Amino acid sequence: MIVLLLAVPLSAAALLALAPARAAIVVHALATLVTLAAGLTLGVGAVSGLTAVAFDGVLRVDALSGWMIAVIVVVAGLAAAEAPRYVGEGSPRVFYPLFHLMVFTMLLAVSTDDVGVMWVAVEGTTLASVFLVNFERTRASLEAAYKYLLICSVGIAIAFVGTVLVYYAEAVRQQGVIEHAPHALRWTALLVLAPALSPRVLQLAFVFLVVGYGTKAGLAPMHTWLPDAHSEAPAPVSALMSGVLLSVGAYAILRFKPIVDAAAGPGFARRILVALGLLSLAVAATFLWNPRNFKRMLAYSSVEHIGLVSLGLGFGGGLGVSGALLHVANHGLAKSVVFLLAGRIRAAYGTVELAGVRGLLRGLPVTGRGFALAVVALMGLPPFGLFTSEVMIFAAGFREGHAWAAATALVLLVVAFGGLLRATHAMLFGPAPAMSHAAGGWITTLPMAVALAVLIVTGLAWPPGLGAALDLAARAVVR
Amino acid sequence: MMATITNLLAFLALGVTLLLVWRQSWRGRVRLFVVQSLLLGALAAAIGALASRPSLLLVAAIFLVMKTWLIPRVLRRMAAGAPLRPVRPGRSAGIPLLVAGALVVVAYVIMLPVSDLASSALPTRGAIPLAFAMALIGLFVCVTGRDALGQVTGFLVFENAIFALGVVTTYGMPGLIEAGVFLEVLVVVLLMEGVVVQMRREHDSLDVDRLQELRG
Repeated sequence: MIVLLLAVPLSAAALLALAPARAAIVVHALATLVTLAAGLTLGVGAVSGLTAVAFDGVLRVDALSGWMIAVIVVVAGLAAAEAPRYVGEGSPRVFYPLFHLMVFTMLLAVSTDDVGVMWVAVEGTTLASVFLVNFERTRASLEAAYKYLLICSVGIAIAFVGTVLVYYAEAVRQQGVIEHAPHALRWTALLVLAPALSPRVLQLAFVFLVVGYGTKAGLAPMHTWLPDAHSEAPAPVSALMSGVLLSVGAYAILRFKPIVDAAAGPGFARRILVALGLLSLAVAATFLWNPRNFKRMLAYSSVEHIGLVSLGLGFGGGLGVSGALLHVANHGLAKSVVFLLAGRIRAAYGTVELAGVRGLLRGLPVTGRGFALAVVALMGLPPFGLFTSEVMIFAAGFREGHAWAAATALVLLVVAFGGLLRATHAMLFGPAPAMSHAAGGWITTLPMAVALAVLIVTGLAWPPGLGAALDLAARAVVR
Repeated sequence: MMATITNLLAFLALGVTLLLVWRQSWRGRVRLFVVQSLLLGALAAAIGALASRPSLLLVAAIFLVMKTWLIPRVLRRMAAGAPLRPVRPGRSAGIPLLVAGALVVVAYVIMLPVSDLASSALPTRGAIPLAFAMALIGLFVCVTGRDALGQVTGFLVFENAIFALGVVTTYGMPGLIEAGVFLEVLVVVLLMEGVVVQMRREHDSLDVDRLQELRG
């Protein structure tokens, strides 16, 4: 099943690069559906306790991987359904193959047991998406793509230094002999060896890993590429990048945390993650009070939410990590919906300037209402799931003895909430101008409506098994 | 024997990296990058031969082909049509050199405790801070680069240094991962070339200060 899940997007990417334009949409749709089905089957199996292994252990899907796979394929499905609007007559051979390649690299990153392969896959996500960021080939998108490529390549190279140091620590664990254990870069092997590794080297390695993968995750102060890339990319790509790619970066950090905790004690990784989480919240809260461009506003809201995820991982404990994982899923759904609708708003109003969008509820009733609901979800208000996951994260903060950090984060969250509220209020109400472009009706909005409905489910009534699944996923990294 | 050779090669490579900070002309920088790559390829090959790791010899060979032939070719293609000197000439190299010197000290402060862990087991341990110093200098060249070409050079120097760090700390990462790294460096450089070509068309310059459409 793992092999199928990875083979489908990869072969679809190859096929789409060669297929004639008319066949492309069919291949795209089929590949998306098969990936979705395979990912959900594998993910649901994994979170109920079935660990899948393939290729002699290089690929390994435990409950944590399964959770991430499910989130990735669902967000990819939402984005894929909206993609045909953005692919013009001439460019399906660029857009579709890279889209599926990006999905493949993300799935590979979360389903491998080898931290080296994970590194290669995370770097691959950047390479697959650079052209997609620059898809419109304007000056602004060029600038965004350049910054994205340079900053993320440097960042991920820093993460490689961290990986090298982990490998080094593994080799020198016995004084006097340089010998690597078999499969020394396997996460499962590292976890067993971790208590014997040098705390000093592992601490240094973790700093490099957090800076490196944190760049991909969009944690402040390494977030500077994020607002540019997420606002300039076409909406389905923004949805994929904001909705799941950031979380894949956070996932990479999460995988290393138990290893560092076992070698160097839990305080070290925790302090770094809490500090970066607070800084990300502060940066986002500041910007959200004065946005000019609504796609940039949404991008900064992603910095805010990835900051919350980092806080949850930092606070730790079963509750903190499962809260963070639930937040990853909730944010993935809400943010992809809101970016996809923002793409429609942009097409209808012909601008991304916040000042240019007024009367959304009257002008585009379906899109406007969906946008309003998704933004309310992103604000963390009930009945949506983000409220629940935020409560879990803050409860973990108070329970694990980080009352000050949790209280500061709450204040920052309220500030960010106010900013987002002020900006969206201005967009939603007021007189609507004449539209240049129809925004799409109920049918095409249906997948997004389903996503919002799922968010209400994760907020109000957990289906049986969700709690156990989250618990199992968190237990993969919490001892 | 092995310690002497690796220390010497890493030290020479660091010297070349410092020269690269000082050198202003683009062609000169590409030449220095090639020299640095030659030294680091030799470093990997020497360790492969002396520690009898045949796979490292193969990695060194691929590294040399890529870094001294393939990538410099792309770099020269990127520069075709660019002015030979950086965008605004006349800045003295004194301060960057001073910073680079300070970074060597920082590298020793950070890496000495780490390399001491290996005690006598790792003959290459003396080169660990040297490789890390090269990485820091590469990063510095990258973030202070005033045009796209300068930033790409910095990134490549950084990347070379990380390769060296991997070789001297662990005798090379597993083959599958080295292969992935090589492939990705190549793709980064090719993507960069695409971006630079478009940048020159749009802005008629590679000056990164002109990239300021996106603010806030």
